[in-house]
Amino acid sequence: MADPLDYIRGFGVTFKKLFEERLTLQYRGGKGKPGKPDEKREKGLRFHGRHVLNRYEDGMEKCIGCELCAGVCPAKCIYVRGADNDPDNPTSPGERFGYVYQINYLRCIHCDLCVEACPTQAITESKLFEFSFTNRNDAIYTKNELLVDDNGKPRWLPWEDWRDGEDEHTSAWMRATSPAGDHRYEGVVAWSGELGHGVRSPEVGQSDSADESSRPEMATTEVEQ
Amino acid sequence: MTNTEAKTTLSVTIDGEVFEARPGELLIEACERAGTYIPRFCYHSRMKPVGMCRMCLVEVDTGRGPALQPACMLPCSDGMTVSTETPGTRKVQAGILEYLLINHPLDCPVCDKGGECPLQDQTVAYGPGESRFVEEKRHYEKPIPINDNVFLDRERCILCDRCTRFADTVAGDKLIHFMDRGNNTQVNTFPDEPFASYFSGNTVQICPVGALTARPYRFKARPWDLDETVSTAWTDSAGARVAVQSSRDKVIRLLGIDSDPVNWGWLSDKERFAFEALNSDDRLTAPLTRVGDHLVPTGWSTALERAVSLLSDADPDRVAVIGGARLTNESQYAWAKLAKGVIGTDNVDSQLADGLDPELVLGLPRATIDEACTPGGTIILCGPDPKEEIGSLYLRLRHAVVHDDARLIELTPTATGLSPVAAHSLHPRPGEVADLARALVEAANGGPAVSAAGVSAEEISSAAVAIDGSVTIIIGRASLAESADCVTDAALQLAALPGSRFLSALRRGNIHGALDSGLAPGLLPGRTTIEAGAARFADAWPSTPASRGLDTAGILAAAADGRIDVLVLLGSDPINDFAGRPLAAAALETVPNVIALDMLVNDSIAMAADVVLAASGATESAGTFTNLEGRISVCRQRVTPPGTARADWMIASEIARRLGFDLGFDSVESIRAEIAAVSVVHSGLDEKALAEALVDGLLIGGSGDIMVPGVVGVSPSAHDAYSLRLVASRSMYDDGVALRNSPSSRGLARSVTLRLNPTDFDKIGVDRGTVVRTESAVGRLLVPVEPDPGVPVGSAVLPWAAPGSPANTLIDPFSTVTDVRVERA
Ligand code: SF4
Ligand code: SF4
Ligand code: SF4
Ligand code: FES
Repeated sequence: MADPLDYIRGFGVTFKKLFEERLTLQYRGGKGKPGKPDEKREKGLRFHGRHVLNRYEDGMEKCIGCELCAGVCPAKCIYVRGADNDPDNPTSPGERFGYVYQINYLRCIHCDLCVEACPTQAITESKLFEFSFTNRNDAIYTKNELLVDDNGKPRWLPWEDWRDGEDEHTSAWMRATSPAGDHRYEGVVAWSGELGHGVRSPEVGQSDSADESSRPEMATTEVEQ
Repeated sequence: MTNTEAKTTLSVTIDGEVFEARPGELLIEACERAGTYIPRFCYHSRMKPVGMCRMCLVEVDTGRGPALQPACMLPCSDGMTVSTETPGTRKVQAGILEYLLINHPLDCPVCDKGGECPLQDQTVAYGPGESRFVEEKRHYEKPIPINDNVFLDRERCILCDRCTRFADTVAGDKLIHFMDRGNNTQVNTFPDEPFASYFSGNTVQICPVGALTARPYRFKARPWDLDETVSTAWTDSAGARVAVQSSRDKVIRLLGIDSDPVNWGWLSDKERFAFEALNSDDRLTAPLTRVGDHLVPTGWSTALERAVSLLSDADPDRVAVIGGARLTNESQYAWAKLAKGVIGTDNVDSQLADGLDPELVLGLPRATIDEACTPGGTIILCGPDPKEEIGSLYLRLRHAVVHDDARLIELTPTATGLSPVAAHSLHPRPGEVADLARALVEAANGGPAVSAAGVSAEEISSAAVAIDGSVTIIIGRASLAESADCVTDAALQLAALPGSRFLSALRRGNIHGALDSGLAPGLLPGRTTIEAGAARFADAWPSTPASRGLDTAGILAAAADGRIDVLVLLGSDPINDFAGRPLAAAALETVPNVIALDMLVNDSIAMAADVVLAASGATESAGTFTNLEGRISVCRQRVTPPGTARADWMIASEIARRLGFDLGFDSVESIRAEIAAVSVVHSGLDEKALAEALVDGLLIGGSGDIMVPGVVGVSPSAHDAYSLRLVASRSMYDDGVALRNSPSSRGLARSVTLRLNPTDFDKIGVDRGTVVRTESAVGRLLVPVEPDPGVPVGSAVLPWAAPGSPANTLIDPFSTVTDVRVERA
């Protein structure tokens, strides 16, 4: 037999919540209408959002079309085809480049296994997840959409909600886990420079670090909850 | 008793378990049979071991304590104890891998081998885990082309000697070799001499690393996105077994499968890269009909309606079918039933005057490839150059001669790819091979040796002495400029050699299936004739032809005369393939209606077809293939046909239905069931047997009702002193429509030259490269001449179907030999 007072206690919780700060945010709520809030929550630095394909500092594409990302993808949403680089006008360093690159965002589960598999740090994830589509074609991103622009910044597509500054953080997760999450390499720069960003400073690693004081300077952006 | 037993097996202890090995068996093989895989790089079961890589070192104790020995070089001996998992073995395996990786680049992500690489796999399984090598690695120029299709990346090479061993000991094209010494040792070609081998693709397949890559597959996919099925190569009649691999519904690679009775895992490059033609942008995706001068796409019902109205309006005797060797056995049977049973014509021929009398091929006692290659036996080649025409057969024959002490006697009009290893090369004058055969047989049977066909008595008698052991005669068309009757007569002479058997070297795809399916005048499916077999078909077929029809030469002559109303081209291109281009052209100009079934528009179709029905290709439809031994193997569908193209048997069923008859087929299995029911020789062809014989195929033996034909008695016209006698022989790459559509192969067709013996040069007053007018009774060509001591004096050799200079321009299909006048142009 339930204690009738339990009902009262239950309503008590509801009542208390009425006076707490609300967590609901209005994304683009008012579309700029006066008086309506337009808020967007700050996300973690290593948030898994929509991908970007990076370039080296000289503008060469990092992707070599190796299909390792496609091979590891549990949702099978990546399609890559390699091709021979034109020796006189190469797209990427070496023999092979990513000739076709597609990610189907109707399937992607943002697990970042592709990011971990990539031998050249060509693919990383930005923090953007505010993108929605009205047709399937828009949901299949190709190299045109994924490849960073001439300044090394992600392209802002019409159906994506980017805010100033958000496009800075496109490789934090990779920097935190590279290489292979081994704490002995923590803080050691082990990736190549990116167009628009140069060689970025390392992120704090995921593994147990033996000595907190031996860590080099970390990225300073505050992570808000 | 115990003694004989001790001789038949040897007791070897492998990791504590006793295993009975065969005498002479290599330890690596015995371990594999016992279920213990020993890692290896250089060892290949089809080549002599060389012990180059040392990866197979294991601890072996033969009574003197354990010592590390290479398992690939060590024959088993009785009482041997082998340990494959001791710390000592593990340490040496890790050490060898670390050593191999010292100079090996970290290319895996961009390397075509990545994902199926023995070096990757064995490093994961047996490697040291971490590298201690921090120094700079050895560097070479990244991939260098060693021929038109194969690239070599020397940085990745681990110097296993597989490719070089293959080129030398298997293919006989010793064009790649190790160069330099020590740390700089590298595989390379000779300067300015490419690895011009018809078999170069095999080196890519057997390279244990990604040092050798093939252009058609390069960067196209990774192993994990390939789907694969077992199938049969379709470009020649060897029936080599292949794994067809596709990605995204497109075939991108063929690998040879080691089928013991057939191809031993090897393929010719033509077989290997022929899939490119099926991926061609020019593939027919819908039927075409002729509107004015153009063939325009149309729907199936319109096209079939038009084809059916042409067929139903025609008198059956005025309908003819040419071709069929491209088809699967099932499609061939369906077409035989449609043409002979429903339409009621016997003017059906799958050979284009480039083959042999079917009754000769089916009636003579047949040999398998294994029987032909019996160690210590005799092979008599009275046919084409296997290296140019049937690559997989060439490799088997060459192995038998070079490594198994078989003796090869050539009775060919000119030197062949096997001449360097042949015991005796006798080159008869064109048209006179039967005389040579008679003289050879007489000498072999103890009679006096007399000179014949321009070959001296001494040569004949020494060749006759060499005939010993099992005797296999390979018959086929060495030259398309002499008639098939010459070979018939020669074969019948050679049949008198005791115990002789015959292996057909008809080349065209599934031609042996076509003959077994009755796609030849006078034949019905199952190695029977319209007279002997009619009763068996009474239930299954509406009718059978009452009298023997015309062969292709007869059909084309009748068509040129206006006696054929409807000509069906069943995957054939008479203009280019028929031995007699002037006649083929006249026939196609005259014949009022032409229906074609094909995958690509060939020259004959472009010229004459009224309706073209789009057919599916070898990797796009299921069925079976019959090889030159009579071995039936499975072809499996791997990808979907382009557009609305469909299998040839479906088209036959549809035409029959519209003509008012039901062929009764709804699947290839139902066709096979009917074949097994009506054919005396195919009674063992059931689904279970086929599935069990997936790799080796099902040998269909016996001659059925076919009788060996009688001697024709050819007598070539006298040879006048002013002309040369023409030899027109095929080469691996020519100007066929399939090769034109294969990007990797189309550049390989040899430039056309007329090859003459150097002594004939002065007579005609020409030098190397002089362009000559070559004129026969029916046509003329302008070609440059080239000296070739392998060509007998008085003969002139022209490649068949060479781009721009088709040899069949000069050939009259009804004459025994072709004489040409050769003059400076
Ligand atoms: S993104 Fe990275 S893993 Fe994916 S294909 Fe390109 S290089 Fe390979
Ligand atoms: S050969 Fe094997 S180990 Fe070497 S780069 Fe290629 S895939 Fe990697
Ligand atoms: S290229 Fe390949 S097959 Fe040839 S020696 Fe080197 S590793 Fe062996
Ligand atoms: S496999 Fe035995 S030494 Fe290479």
